[in-house]
Amino acid sequence: MKKVILSMLAIVFLSLTTFAQKQVSSKTHIKFFSTTPAENIEANNYASVSTLDPASGDIVFSVPMQSFEFEKALMQEHFNSKKFLNTKANPKAKLTGKIENITAINFVEDGTYTADIAGDLTINGVTKPISEKATISIQNGKVSLNSIFNVTLVDYEVAFKKGKPSTNIAKTVEVTVNAEY
Amino acid sequence: MTTKKKILIVLAIGVLIAISIALFMFFKPARDIQATETDYSYNASDLVNEYLTDAHKANNKFLDEEGNSKVLEITGIVKNITKDFNNQKVILLKNTKDKAGVNATFTSATNAHTNSVKIGDKITVKGVIRSGASYDEDLEMYENVILDKCDIVIQ
Repeated sequence: MKKVILSMLAIVFLSLTTFAQKQVSSKTHIKFFSTTPAENIEANNYASVSTLDPASGDIVFSVPMQSFEFEKALMQEHFNSKKFLNTKANPKAKLTGKIENITAINFVEDGTYTADIAGDLTINGVTKPISEKATISIQNGKVSLNSIFNVTLVDYEVAFKKGKPSTNIAKTVEVTVNAEY
Repeated sequence: MTTKKKILIVLAIGVLIAISIALFMFFKPARDIQATETDYSYNASDLVNEYLTDAHKANNKFLDEEGNSKVLEITGIVKNITKDFNNQKVILLKNTKDKAGVNATFTSATNAHTNSVKIGDKITVKGVIRSGASYDEDLEMYENVILDKCDIVIQ
């Protein structure tokens, strides 16, 4: 009898630790979208890594900047160049944040929750505080996240002063994030 | 033909050349990685170690300012095979005792070449480097080298 109780306790303890474990995702999609009367520009990145800690609410995204793929090669070169995101000097962008309403999310039951995330976003070597909403879904114990938010380029010292890029790239771009943990 | 006419013709040809160069640049196709000559050949472990020893130096060696970074051929043991959100195959080459590996992403054109690759196989892939390996304090884990536009060279 004692053995049964002990093993039951062990099972409960084990399952609790599994859910409390940090979730890692390398299946991600991050999209930039810029729209101006001149043209729409889109770039896609499938190579980011993210972690989400259901216990503390800590959430991190590490984004390899050279993995952004554009339709036109010239745009991709502009994006990477010193004038824009300087990806040789700053190969990664990063988000470190906390899900502030983590206790409202039940990671052991299927459902969809709105997470309030506050933290720091570093792009182009410049760090700014951000506060955005994300949707977290739990399905069969699998956690996924998606979010759409805007990034104002000038905040991260990304600015074209003159020429075609200054008229063809929006001042604020829409960022879409998807991750499966 | 008058001199005026001659000048006009020369000017018109000049303008035409300028327009075609501008159009060519604007519609320049993306770099064909597989048709590009390989810059360096490495074992997955050696590339990872070079990054973990001095990431700054390695970035200077491998990354390009405009994103046309070095084309590498990497040999290693297949640790994991997955698919990304774009339905591209992703093969992780990683030695069991190494802290990080090389994550090779294939393309819609090369995906099928990986069909017979199994975990534990020793293979060589060719692709363009996007970022290096490093320990990330926030993720609390090692990040792999990212290789993109890959194809199998030796299986």
